[in-house]
Amino acid sequence: MLELKNIHFSVTDESSGSVDAKKTILGGINFTFEKGKFYGITGPNGSGKTTLAKAIMGINEVTSGSIRFNGKDITNMTITERAREGIAYGFQHSARFKGVTFRALLAIAAGTEDEDRLIDIIARVGICSLDFLDKPVDSKLSGGEIKKIELATTIARNPVLAIYDEPDTGIDLWTIDPMVKLIQKEQKKHERTTIVVSHNRAFLEAADTLLMIKDGKIAYVGDLKGATPMLTDLSVCGYGDICEGESNVRCYR
Amino acid sequence: MLDAIDKDLLMAVADLEGIPKGAYNIRKNGQLLGRKVSGGINIEANEEENGIVVTIKPGVVDQSVHIPVILSQAGLHDVVYNTFIIGEDADVTIVAGCGIHCGSSRAGGHEGIHEFQVGKNAKVRYVEKHLATGEGTGKRTLNPTTKVFMEENAVAEMDLTQIGGVDEAKRLNEAELSAGSSLFITERIMTDGNQIAISHNNIILKGDDSKANIVSRSVIKENSKQDFYANVEARARSFGHIECDAIIMDNGINETVPALRALHPDAELTHEASIGKIANDQLIKLMSLGLTYDEAVEKIIRGFLK
Repeated sequence: MLELKNIHFSVTDESSGSVDAKKTILGGINFTFEKGKFYGITGPNGSGKTTLAKAIMGINEVTSGSIRFNGKDITNMTITERAREGIAYGFQHSARFKGVTFRALLAIAAGTEDEDRLIDIIARVGICSLDFLDKPVDSKLSGGEIKKIELATTIARNPVLAIYDEPDTGIDLWTIDPMVKLIQKEQKKHERTTIVVSHNRAFLEAADTLLMIKDGKIAYVGDLKGATPMLTDLSVCGYGDICEGESNVRCYR
Repeated sequence: MLDAIDKDLLMAVADLEGIPKGAYNIRKNGQLLGRKVSGGINIEANEEENGIVVTIKPGVVDQSVHIPVILSQAGLHDVVYNTFIIGEDADVTIVAGCGIHCGSSRAGGHEGIHEFQVGKNAKVRYVEKHLATGEGTGKRTLNPTTKVFMEENAVAEMDLTQIGGVDEAKRLNEAELSAGSSLFITERIMTDGNQIAISHNNIILKGDDSKANIVSRSVIKENSKQDFYANVEARARSFGHIECDAIIMDNGINETVPALRALHPDAELTHEASIGKIANDQLIKLMSLGLTYDEAVEKIIRGFLK
């Protein structure tokens, strides 16, 4: 249902000093996502996970390669067009607005201002308070609150393909399991193809298939068990040769 | 009588579908069109006969006064001085507003000076909307001034909006706050074309525990220009905050100058100001919800100015 063919993405390498120098973020991604399945995308920081997710949504225009969604070539479609084709995206760092309320965002996402429909959606993501609907989506919201809004607006789209970029950022530990269950429930009930970019074990365990991205390429496809040795390897400190012991804060890099 | 243009203007500036309920004073083309007083609210011409005096008796609550001004006659420049005397413990809403309809090449304008004397423990909500319409090329000018004098523990909320079509606006807001009184000003202005809007605000916190919060939201489109100046001077143990945000689009120009002056060691004054384009992450979020770029811009601006 979602076919990525030889996806490349590169940006101008500002550190090189030359305007022509390019830095490759994605170096040839090939993968086909199947309908109704739950995919986890993981990998080290800076490996290209979010870049790939944004390329699917059209936020990053790919340098080369093609993306087919439900039999259509969407490579050159805008974000708006892809959204209308049924792709939804939950952002890791949510936009904050001045004056725009949660109700307004949710109404755009759901395509209706009908109070009962909106209440139904917020109940699904575990927001009990109706007052919350009229809160502005601004910098006064806590990290957990804004993530719930992000989740609600993604689900309200009733998408064919839902992409969640690190949905657990800023969420307290006790909320992660219900969130995983909710995403899973939505996936199963609506046969929704689901892609979650995450480092969190709870999401990776829930996934049918795990993709590990490393240096802009798919380094592994399979289940969590098979990925565990590689993930463990990644968690080993890479600063061994400059380590000065616990007294040096650099070990927390 | 009200014609179709008058009705449109009244709807836009005062949310009125016709003649309002409660007390009102409607002024059209420099003349009195209609007036109604109520038991607790009196409206009469001032001694200089250049405006009205609205007197709200002490203790009058949950009442409203509408005082819209409409200008549809070309070449008229209307100047008024209105005084509002709000009695102790009263709680009222005053809806003012000026709509100009310009159908010719002759200029039209309105200069309204509104003075408020807010009594002890009284609360007033003042809503003022300005709008100019019409196909004519004549310059439309609106220069409003508000002067607010607040007694002990008085509360004033002022919503000042310039919706569109005004070529030139010079606004002046002045206020003096006695002990325990609170003033909240929210100003929302959108300009486009070659319009210019300048707002000066001078707030003096005179009494202990007085509090002022000034919020300015500006959207500056095309070749328009907006300047915002706010001075908060604290002469007592008091709180003041200025928050000004401007969204610039196209070739819009903005100058924002918040100024704080503490003349008392227990004054607490803060400000935040920002000028910039619509943030990209806001646009992308709304587009990912299915809106086009233009729809997203419109939604963000409407929320920002709401």
